[in-house]
Amino acid sequence: MVVVLLPSLLATQAGGQARFELEAATVGEALRELPVADLLFEGGELRRLVNVYLDGDDVRSLGGLDAPLAGVEEVRVIAAVAGGLPQGGRNLDLAGADPVFDGLQRVDVLLRHL
Amino acid sequence: MGVLLLAGTRKGLFLFHGDDERSSWELEGPLLPGWSVFHAIRDRRDGSLQIVANNFVYGGTFQRSDDDGKTWRRAEGLALPEDSELKLDEVWHVEPGRDTDPDEIWLGATPGVLFRSDDRGTTFEPVQSVIEHPTREKWEPGAGGMCLHSIQLDPSDPKRMYIAISAAGTFRTDDGGESWTPQNQGVAADFYPEPDNFPEVGQCVHKLLLHPERPERLWQQNHCGVYRSDDRAESWERLEGNGLPSGFGFPLALDPRDPDVAYVIPEEGAENRVTPNGRLGVYRTDDGGSSWALVSGGLPEPAWGAVMREGLTFDGSGLYFATQSGSVFASTSRGEQWTEVARQLPPILSLEAAEWS
Repeated sequence: MVVVLLPSLLATQAGGQARFELEAATVGEALRELPVADLLFEGGELRRLVNVYLDGDDVRSLGGLDAPLAGVEEVRVIAAVAGGLPQGGRNLDLAGADPVFDGLQRVDVLLRHL
Repeated sequence: MGVLLLAGTRKGLFLFHGDDERSSWELEGPLLPGWSVFHAIRDRRDGSLQIVANNFVYGGTFQRSDDDGKTWRRAEGLALPEDSELKLDEVWHVEPGRDTDPDEIWLGATPGVLFRSDDRGTTFEPVQSVIEHPTREKWEPGAGGMCLHSIQLDPSDPKRMYIAISAAGTFRTDDGGESWTPQNQGVAADFYPEPDNFPEVGQCVHKLLLHPERPERLWQQNHCGVYRSDDRAESWERLEGNGLPSGFGFPLALDPRDPDVAYVIPEEGAENRVTPNGRLGVYRTDDGGSSWALVSGGLPEPAWGAVMREGLTFDGSGLYFATQSGSVFASTSRGEQWTEVARQLPPILSLEAAEWS
C-alpha cells in the first residue's frame, strides 16, 4: 500500500480528497487509478509541469512512470514552479529540457531578464 | 425571474445574481479557484452551468454543474488522436447544441479543433473532419494561439453550422460536419502583402455570430475589420469607415430581436490593444453596419480598457461587457447609459447573461 498526496487544486477536482491509499506495482499504475488521472497525463506521459516524488525523489530520475513502488511509502504530486511561464507555456519550446524542472528554471530566469 | 451574469476570469468563475431591473447584483464566487475560465454559460436547455477552464499545469477541461455551481463534474479527459500529431492546448468556447438535441454540446479549442459531446458533456470526441481539413497546413496561430473560438448552429437547418478559427477563418458545414467549406470571400488578411491579402483561408476572425431570427445573416469582428454577410457567409461586406474608430477589436454582440443591430468594442489596432483615444465604450449600429455610434454614458473617462472576445453580451434587455482590468458594466438602455456591476475582479475573459430564478 502506498499513500498518494495531491495538491489542493487536484484535490478539489477529486471531490475534496487529497490523500489516497492505493495498491499498485508502479507509480504509473498508482497515478492512473486516481480520479484526476486525466489531468496528470498527456499522450500517455506525465504532463511536463507535473512533478511526482517518491519519498522525496523525483520520479523522472527513478525510471519515470515504470518506477516500482516496492518499499515506497509516499507518492507526492507537485506542480512545477513556473513563475515566468506564460499561460499554457505557449510559444516556448521546452522540448529536450531534461530534467524538465531545470528547463523551466532556465526559462524563468530568462524571462525575468527580458 | 432575474438575470445571472457569469464572469469567467483568469482566477476562477464569478456569478452575479441580478434582479429584474438589473439594478442590484449579488456576487457569488470565486468558484473553481485556480482555473482560468475562458468561457462560462448557463445552458438554456437544462439550466446547468458549463465552463471551459484551463490550467497551465493540468491542461484544458470542460466542467458542468447541475446544482448552480456547488459541485462540478469534469468531462473525461479531452484529447486529440495520437496519429493526428496535434497537441491539445487551451479550450476556448462552449456552445450548447440545438433544443431538439438536448444531449449535444460543442467545444472549440487550440489548435483549431472542434469537440462534440452526445451525452451532455460526460465525454467529448474531436471532430475528425476539422482535424484533417485539407487547408490546415495553411492555418497560422494568432496571438492567442490557433484557437477555435466561435461555433454557430443554424436554427433553420440541422445540418448547417459555422466555426471560426484564428487565424484560419470561417468555415461552414452543410452536411452535419462531414465536410467544411472555407467562407472567407471578401475578408481581408492585411497581415499578408498584396495581392495575397485575400486568401482562401488564413483570415484572423476574432468573433463570429449568426443572427437567430435571420440565420443567413452573420457578423464577424475580425483582426482586419468588422464584416456582415447576408448569404450564409458566402460573401462578406466590410463595415468600417462609417463611424468606427478602428476595425480592430475582439467582442461582438447582436440583438436577438433585431438583425440590423450589432455592438462592438474596437481597439486602436493590433499593435496597441486598448480602447481608442482613452474612451471606453461600445459602438452600436442600428442599420446593419451602415453607420456606428459610440454609446458610453456613465462609463469612466479616460479609460484604456481591453475587452476579450467573449467579454460582451446582450440578452435582449441588458447589454453587458467586462474588462481585462476587472470591471463589469451593465446597461438597460442599449448602451446609452451604463452602471458598474463590479470592479477589481481578476482579468475577465468572458461574460454571459442568462435567465435565473
